[in-house]
Amino acid sequence: MKMAHKKALSQMIAAAALAGASTCALAADTIKIALAGPVTGPVAQYGDMQFIGAKMAIEQINKAGGVNGSQLEGVVFDDACDPKQAVAVANRIVNEGISFVVGHLCSSSTQPASDIYEEEGILMITAASTSPEITERGYQMIFRTIGLDSLQGPTAGNYIAQQVKPSKVAVIHDKQQYGEGIATAVRDVLTEAGIEVPVFEGITAGDKDFSALIAKLRQEGVDFVYYGGYHPELGLILRQAAEQGLDVGFMGPEGVGNTDISAIAGEASEGLLVTLPKAFDQDPANAHLVEAFQAKNEDPSGAFVFPAYAAVQVIADGIKLADSTDTEAVAEALRSNSFETPTGTLAFDEKGDLKDFNFVVYEWHADATKTAMTE
Amino acid sequence: MAMPESLYYFIQQLINGLTVGSTYALIAIGYTMVYGIIGMINFAHGEIYMIGSYIAFIVIAALAMFGIESVPLIIVAAFAISMMVTSAYGYSIERVAYRPLRGGNRLIPLISAIGMSIFLQNLVRIAQGSRDIAMPTMISGGVDIGPHEGFHATLSYMQMIIFVVTLITMFGLTLFISRSRMGRACRACAEDLKMTNLLGINTNGIIALTFVIGAALAAIAGVLLGMYYGVINPYIGFMAGLKAFTAAVLGGIGSIPGAVLGGLLLGVTEAITAGYFSSEYKDVVAFALLILILLFRPSGILGRPEVEKV
Amino acid sequence: MMRANLKPAIISAVVVAVLAGLLLGIRLDQQGTTLSLVGAGPDVYWKIGAAAAFLFFFNLFRDQLSALWKGLPGLPKAPQKLVEVSHKPALRRLFWCFMIAAAIIWPFLSNRGGTDLGTLVLIYVMLGLGLNIVVGLAGLLDLGYVGFYAVGAYGYALMAMYFDVGFWTGLLIAGLLAALFGFLLGFPVLRLRGDYLAIVTLGFGEIIRILLNNMTWLTNGPNGIGGIPKPTLFGLEFSRRASEGMQSFHEFVGISYSSEHRIIFLYLLALLLVLITLFVINRLLRMPIGRAWEALREDEIACRALGINPTAVKLSAFTIGATFAGFAGCFFAARQGFISPESFTFIESAIILAIVVLGGMGSQVGVILAAIIMTILPEMAREFDEYRMLLFGLMMVLMMIWRPQGLLPMSRPHLELRT
Repeated sequence: MKMAHKKALSQMIAAAALAGASTCALAADTIKIALAGPVTGPVAQYGDMQFIGAKMAIEQINKAGGVNGSQLEGVVFDDACDPKQAVAVANRIVNEGISFVVGHLCSSSTQPASDIYEEEGILMITAASTSPEITERGYQMIFRTIGLDSLQGPTAGNYIAQQVKPSKVAVIHDKQQYGEGIATAVRDVLTEAGIEVPVFEGITAGDKDFSALIAKLRQEGVDFVYYGGYHPELGLILRQAAEQGLDVGFMGPEGVGNTDISAIAGEASEGLLVTLPKAFDQDPANAHLVEAFQAKNEDPSGAFVFPAYAAVQVIADGIKLADSTDTEAVAEALRSNSFETPTGTLAFDEKGDLKDFNFVVYEWHADATKTAMTE
Repeated sequence: MAMPESLYYFIQQLINGLTVGSTYALIAIGYTMVYGIIGMINFAHGEIYMIGSYIAFIVIAALAMFGIESVPLIIVAAFAISMMVTSAYGYSIERVAYRPLRGGNRLIPLISAIGMSIFLQNLVRIAQGSRDIAMPTMISGGVDIGPHEGFHATLSYMQMIIFVVTLITMFGLTLFISRSRMGRACRACAEDLKMTNLLGINTNGIIALTFVIGAALAAIAGVLLGMYYGVINPYIGFMAGLKAFTAAVLGGIGSIPGAVLGGLLLGVTEAITAGYFSSEYKDVVAFALLILILLFRPSGILGRPEVEKV
Repeated sequence: MMRANLKPAIISAVVVAVLAGLLLGIRLDQQGTTLSLVGAGPDVYWKIGAAAAFLFFFNLFRDQLSALWKGLPGLPKAPQKLVEVSHKPALRRLFWCFMIAAAIIWPFLSNRGGTDLGTLVLIYVMLGLGLNIVVGLAGLLDLGYVGFYAVGAYGYALMAMYFDVGFWTGLLIAGLLAALFGFLLGFPVLRLRGDYLAIVTLGFGEIIRILLNNMTWLTNGPNGIGGIPKPTLFGLEFSRRASEGMQSFHEFVGISYSSEHRIIFLYLLALLLVLITLFVINRLLRMPIGRAWEALREDEIACRALGINPTAVKLSAFTIGATFAGFAGCFFAARQGFISPESFTFIESAIILAIVVLGGMGSQVGVILAAIIMTILPEMAREFDEYRMLLFGLMMVLMMIWRPQGLLPMSRPHLELRT
């Protein structure tokens, strides 16, 4: 009786597994690309940016005849930006026999997932994870089409030191790999430039009440605040700072630069400085793509839309150049060629990073528009 | 004025702490009332608070769409509708998930409540999306305490509203419990459920009433905090519920003044920790305080010591 | 009879329609910086209407339905028989042998995904068995069990990171460390009773998680620890390229490399750990200490009168339970290769507790069955990914209403005075 239970159960699992396998049984003429990132969770809108960019690229490439006669197919996996789920997603991608991944989004998810991809010989290109550590482990299969925190931090730090010239700066971060990484880089640049950083403190992501922190900043008499992290927390900090009368300049990385920060902070988001990748949707060369996005009622202005587009295109071009879907050959092709993409001419170095990527400082406005402050 | 800056800094942190603490207290009362009567931890209570916030946002957005701009009217409508809806949720939850389980092992309703909490959180996530929903500040401005030059404490009008509403609610509830007929029935149930039933009081009705009152108070907290922070998402209920529950135990679970005291104490402790030490550790200190108090006063600050029954 | 039910039927239908209509039927929509309302699609309204109609008819015909339900020879009866069967020692032994054999064969019949899932099930079985000692046998409500799981996982990960400790040494250290934590934490709190104990353990669980999150210098904070070494088999590694001075399994045996070897090895290792856990617990249960746990759960005052030291007995249950969580944590860290404080949230404690209660507190077969169900159900529901957790929550509530005593309640002869 008990055995029957167990057997029925194992049959059930086997059936479920088979069902999973059959949906991904490879038709000879499709190449699957896993799109991994947050579909749910508090930073899902960044995942959206990545997904619409990658899906558009897949659509356009397929329309132009596909890759070596094969069509591309994007499969979305949700990691909710949670490292544990990212590992589970990576294992599922391995199980389903997919060899190309565009993702993940959060550096803290990308890092553990990339261990698995490297081990299993799956080629991964992230369009959003900016932590330097990801490509610093000598991996062969890991690439990215976005700049590094180690570039973004100094860009921000130098701008503060040379253009804003404050006397006391508070550097706040959310303790996550991305936020703390950039914050540390900014602090180092500022201290080197002789600017005092009396407050360097972590907050807990997901917190709602920052009144105690803001009172502390007011008491310390800081006249500029840099925040390393994402928009939900900075939005609340801006809002509560305005209410408590802390009237100083704020700056953040590209993780704060989306319309939600204005929705949360309202007027308080006016004048916020943000480092962002160049606004690729403003580039006249990309006008036809912008139109294609708008035709689908999608917003092409998100920071990761075009890098994700580029990531898919680079994979497609790599497969064409290597004339095979063998990931080692494709990885080799990526390293030894340069690629024309909507984000410019991309070339990868030995580590898998872009040889050249620029961040631009923007001033944010309360109506969620932005103006460039640097070239 | 010769008061030193550090004093104003302390006052400011005290104000911040009391604001947060008031809302902990409002949610904690719900826990404490349910526990006092049926001895059950209603883990889904935090989610009721979250739902209250969502309903308030929906009401406010709806009124704005109809072109109604009178702030007092909007706030009153938000309170009224949100309290009504959450009361209905509180009642339904008790009816569906807890009443069939009453009287058995006390772990059973606890698991059911945790399940209910997961269910409600995901229901809202699916219906409303997991993104933060933000609302512009409705009541801005405040008064400064202290010198105009240098550091001074500020007390915003919104914070004042939170204090006042919390105080009114607590007095109202205390009056209700101590004076009204139904309040007396509630106290009787807390004393001895079986006996009260034998005396001809509809205990099922009283228990349902407890859930309804608790849910309405959670809605008040939800509306207030929703307007104060201006941002909600489906996950806010869990941590708020956990903190409020901690506050209820801190003050002595089952005691309404205890819940209020526990809430305020917890809020102030967090603010002081964040203000003088680091905001990273405020949750650690909050839980450590709870453990310390329970070690020296095993039934909370105002709780009655448990009598061992053979 | 139907007329009596008409009023509650109408009320419940209307309440559902209003409650669901407000929260599900209207969506808050954030377009740029403005907040507006949009109606959900017509399908949502249909669903709400259907739910209201269902409740209306359910309440209207509830008497007939419950009569029908009672008439059914339902599932609830079957387990009772099983329990009786399992009391015959010979059959019992045979049954266990079958179970173990089936568990060993499983990875060779299943594919990679199935084996991986099997490993996850075994981790939860281990956790469930450990918590079963504390909650099911000793009757102490522990809501912070995940804290010890975290101590075990981080114990091994940190040891591996700083001192290059291997899996087997790490397993031992993790178990001891978790036991030490259990002992130290248990010492002051165990004099608290019932729900106070529950909240204090919950607090401890949260403190451990927050500390792991904040002690960035030691634990790498929210970023977690990666690159945790995988278990080895007598010094053989399961990887494509063996590290310096090591040999890999496929080279040693002389077969070509396949990443499935490691998955199967991990599964078998987990199975071994579960069997050890089962063996140890079953021995303990027959010792005076095991009897004391159960006696204490039934009546603490009587125990004290009989000269049993309640604190020592509780402490032993707490410590031993924590040890198994430590083992499970260490194995989890090794399997995952990456851990972060996110994996040790309160919800994890709740799931483990749900396994124990669902299984029928105290019953080990029940715990195993419940662990299988609780792990596999959400995985099967991956198809409707979005509704996964919703269904999970609903299932917890319905299970408690349907079978509050658990799937396979522990049965022991007992006499009760009717009062």
